[in-house]
Order: sequence, then structure tokens, then C-alpha cells
Amino acid sequence: MNDCQQRSKSKIAAIIFPAFKEAASLFLIAVVVAIVFNALRSSGVPLFGFSPAKTVNIQQAKIPEITLAEAYYLYRQQKAVFVDARDPFSFEEGHVAGAINIYPDEVALHLAELKKMVSRGIVVITYCDGPRCPLSHETAQGLKLQGFTAVKVLVDGWSLWQKAGYPVEKDNK
Amino acid sequence: MKLRKLVPPYTPLITMICRLALAIIFLYAGVEKIIAPKEFAVAIYNYQLMPDGAINLLAVVLPWLEVFLAVALIAGIYVHGASLASALLFLVFATALTINLVRGLDISCGCFGAASGSISWLYLVRELGLFVMSVFVLFFDRGWSYFFDSTG
Repeated sequence: MNDCQQRSKSKIAAIIFPAFKEAASLFLIAVVVAIVFNALRSSGVPLFGFSPAKTVNIQQAKIPEITLAEAYYLYRQQKAVFVDARDPFSFEEGHVAGAINIYPDEVALHLAELKKMVSRGIVVITYCDGPRCPLSHETAQGLKLQGFTAVKVLVDGWSLWQKAGYPVEKDNK
Repeated sequence: MKLRKLVPPYTPLITMICRLALAIIFLYAGVEKIIAPKEFAVAIYNYQLMPDGAINLLAVVLPWLEVFLAVALIAGIYVHGASLASALLFLVFATALTINLVRGLDISCGCFGAASGSISWLYLVRELGLFVMSVFVLFFDRGWSYFFDSTG
């Protein structure tokens, strides 16, 4: 019985100890690749420089809201870029004319595209559908975190825009 | 070369399914975080468990570790090491989740990038499930070679 227990113990040890070595190798490779990749990419972060105050301020700051009338005024003046924060399928079915689709966790992917569209005096207006929809606020927060300052949320934007009969379009691809 | 041994005992098959499931989860989670390191750093910060100086480093390294674990698990290289690291990771995630659930913080999980939902006990169950899967792979994995009979 004791012998049997000892054998199974040594069997477990024979698996675990080499596994630790392998895990350490994988970890080292990951550390090296991560640091090199972070140094090379344009949106890399400083390795030891997290500033909680700044990022959390942005995170907690309330994103200003905009009324439909104001949003439409800016739209007609061509002083707004509309960002549709809904999922791509809803976006394809219909969106504010000229809007681009940025789902909250895809903000980083669309930075270059958006930067081209935004210049001084242009307001980024995010919207989704429904008065309690959180997506427009999440995308707006992501944009603020990436350095866009003039960001506003049009609450219940898609429904209001449609009901008002303002210009919409389908799948802009 | 032909597929074989898909008949009982099922342990190697179940282990392989667990291994590939873990790999896919790690790949997805890793890539989502690599895309947006700043947002992931904020998610880590919100857990209030790490010193500020270590947050960015963790936000940069952890996603790549996840990607390499996924690659190792799929390719069948260093499977023991990868499954051990995976088990330890899920244990750490589960601990971090538990601490903040007990604290009652309403924060984003950050599990699959910054925009994943708020933490809940269900997430803890998921982490523990993944931990069990990792341990299973660590002890019962037979590698790809088990399923292919080169003499057949």
C-alpha cells in the first residue's frame, strides 16, 4: 500500500518538475516577445509608467451628452463624425449616414481611421440604440482614453435619428 | 496515417478537447488584450491588487503569455509546462476575482480585453472549471501522436 502511494507520488513529481521548467521557458519567451513588440508598436505603453490618476479620471469622468437637435446641426455643418457603437450586424442594417462602426472593445483598431476624419473643431458623436444602452458611453470612454477630447454621446441616438427622418444609409462597404 | 483510438477509453479524447478548448480561449483572450494594452492596464488597476509600477508590465506581458500558451497547447510542444502555467494562471485569476467579489467591487472582468462584462460569481465558477481542465491536461495528455497510427 505504502509502496503504491510512493510510486504514484513519484509519478506526479516526474510530471510536475519538468513542467515547471517548461512553464518557465514559455514565460521567458513571452516576456521577451512582449517587451520587444511593445517597444516596436506605435500604441505601446511605458512599461513602468502607469498613471492611475489620469486614466481613472478619464474613466470616471462623465462623457457629455448632446441633444438630437445639436447633433443634427453639427451634422449639417459637417462638424461632427458619428461613431456607431452597436454591433457590426446592426450597423450593416442601417446607420447614420457617414458614420463609422466602432464597438467598444475595438476602439484601438479604428484609431488611424478616426484620426484621419477628426481635425480641429470636429466633434465625435457616439450613439447606440435605446435610452439605457451602455455601448455609446463605453466607446466614448475608450476614445477619450486614446486622446480624443471632443467626444459626446447622443443617448438613444439611432432611434431618435431614425424617427426624425434624418439621413441614414445601409452597409457602407 | 489514419485517425484511430476514438473508441473507449475516452480519457485521451476528452483531454485533447480540453487542451484545444483552453488553447482557443487563451488565443482569443490574449489577442483581445494585445490589441488594447492601455484599456487592459486600467482593468488590472481596477482590481486594486497590483502596485502601480507593475501594472503596465503585467498588461504587456500577460497577453503574450496567453498567446504562447495557446500556441504550445495547439502544437503539442511543452504541453506539460503550458498546462501547468495555465492551471496556475486560472488559480491566480480565481483568487483575484474572489477577493474583489468579497470586497463587493463592481469592476470589469477584463478577462477578454477591457470591454468584457462586470465580475460575478459565475465568472469564478468558469475560472475554476478552466483550472480543472488545465490540471486534467497536465496529467492525462497523450499528445497528438496518440490519435494517429503511423503504421496504419
